Amino acid sequence: MSAPQAAEARAERQRRVMVALFYGVLTVIVLLYSLPSIGVLLASFKSTAEIAQDGVWNLPRSLNFDNYVEAWVAGNAATYIRNTFLVTVPATLGSIAMGVLVGYTLSKLRFRGSDALFVFIVAGLFFPPQIVLIPLFRLFNALGLYDTLWALILIHIAFGIPICTLIMKNFFAAVPTAIREAAIIDGASEWQILLRVMLPLCLPALAVLATLQFTWIWNDFLWPVIMIRSNEMRTVMVGLSSLKGQYSVAYGVQSSMAVYASIPTLLVFVFFQKYFIRGLTLGSVKG
Amino acid sequence: MAKQRRIWAAIFLALPMFIYVSIVILPLISSFYYSFTDWNGFNADFNLIGFKNYEKMFSDRLFANAIGNTIIWTIAAVLLPTIGGLALALTLHGRGFFSRIYKSLFYLPISLSLVVIGQVWIWIYQPDWGLINITLEGIGRGDLTQAWLARPQYALYAVILAWTWQQTALAMVIFLAGLTSVPPELLEAAEIDGASYWQVTRRVTIPLLAPATVVVIALGVINSLKSFDVLYIMTRGGPFHSSDNLAMFMYNESFQKYNMGYGSAIAIVLFLITLVVIVVYFRLSTNLEHLYD
Repeated sequence: MSAPQAAEARAERQRRVMVALFYGVLTVIVLLYSLPSIGVLLASFKSTAEIAQDGVWNLPRSLNFDNYVEAWVAGNAATYIRNTFLVTVPATLGSIAMGVLVGYTLSKLRFRGSDALFVFIVAGLFFPPQIVLIPLFRLFNALGLYDTLWALILIHIAFGIPICTLIMKNFFAAVPTAIREAAIIDGASEWQILLRVMLPLCLPALAVLATLQFTWIWNDFLWPVIMIRSNEMRTVMVGLSSLKGQYSVAYGVQSSMAVYASIPTLLVFVFFQKYFIRGLTLGSVKG
Repeated sequence: MAKQRRIWAAIFLALPMFIYVSIVILPLISSFYYSFTDWNGFNADFNLIGFKNYEKMFSDRLFANAIGNTIIWTIAAVLLPTIGGLALALTLHGRGFFSRIYKSLFYLPISLSLVVIGQVWIWIYQPDWGLINITLEGIGRGDLTQAWLARPQYALYAVILAWTWQQTALAMVIFLAGLTSVPPELLEAAEIDGASYWQVTRRVTIPLLAPATVVVIALGVINSLKSFDVLYIMTRGGPFHSSDNLAMFMYNESFQKYNMGYGSAIAIVLFLITLVVIVVYFRLSTNLEHLYD
């Protein structure tokens, strides 16, 4: 082997070592970063006695599903999860429907002041919900909707309007106006155009919003804390936090509940990651 | 034609605007009104007491404390996720199959609820078998172990760190999106000119990420003003109010002590702070747009 060849081989070896080192370090960082999530999974398979003895951070001695049964039956996970679905699904669909209507109007049926209206709506994206806690508490009490899932559904629809409007308007703006005009010449009404022509073109935007809204609403904690009093009406996040009192040292049961509470959003994340990530960037960069 | 369009616009906007105005806008306005009252949350009637609630703030040590903690929280929320997210994004940007898997693992916390995140982090700080204390014992520094969340001098920072864990992932998403708009030819040209990776990153990539950085910082500030869930789960603002931020303080005054009038005044302060942040943000981002035109 000649000298330059040897030097090249050495450089190549060095490069490979660097790449291996890079991925090695990265893997350690990823593991450290994932430790909190791994901890929940580990604890969910351990009995209280085992956690008291070993802590949560090592492998469980056996795969034991008692905590999952306990959380589901005695811990009310079934009720909490049903309630959360009953809030999340209608609120997700409702807020998207509102966003479609407003976004379409502000992009294709523009009028004097429609830009100002857009700013007015999108501004809602930024404000802390704490600002309206007290008036809404009073309003929903007066309406007799305090301690009902209706309160949560209505609130999430209303608070979803800014982000849904923002993303839908930007999406509709990219649809050529000529398509709409052609449909008008064919005698379609605005309603038909929106439903039959525009909406099918907007499926990606709808998917983006569905993943985002589902995740935010499912994970919401503040509103059920304020609006829900009785145990049967609790969503899973409030149920999980109340478990801390009831099963204060039953970390295994708490973890199983945390796993139940996380499965729906994790599934959305696994299967629709592309849309979810796109929504995060659209929502933040454009906002 | 034009008239028909206006009618359709009105039909389409009617329901969404009714919901938005009655659940977001009118309550926002009535918050101002309640901040001038002494309402206790139960009684049907209450009195207008002028600026008393606002005067109370100036002498309320706990309010000053909450403001101070909110400032600390905001600074940490800007620094940690910006630096961490940028580092992760630069590392993971466009490196094929493996980086896609790693990216997903880093994204994961975004889809988890802060309630779950708070609960897990409680175990990291747990005194007996928490991750931090067993690590400290493992490296022979058992003398440093603490009941982290029970000590006023550490509780706030402990909660902020847990929250930052999720925010870093969000910052990474935004930086990664920013990186896709950096033209690769520019980087190649710099490399051909003999610049090292580090030089290219510092002189070319990072300056081009300025708009993304502004977004990350603005989002960090706005999200930290809103943050409540993780505090509620981990410390409820305690011990001895040491981890109270404005949002938590407002909740405690309104829904634990039932000082709804005072709570509304705190909410209004939070509103005004947010307003200032947003105005600054829009100024900055339009300036940046001009810069890149």
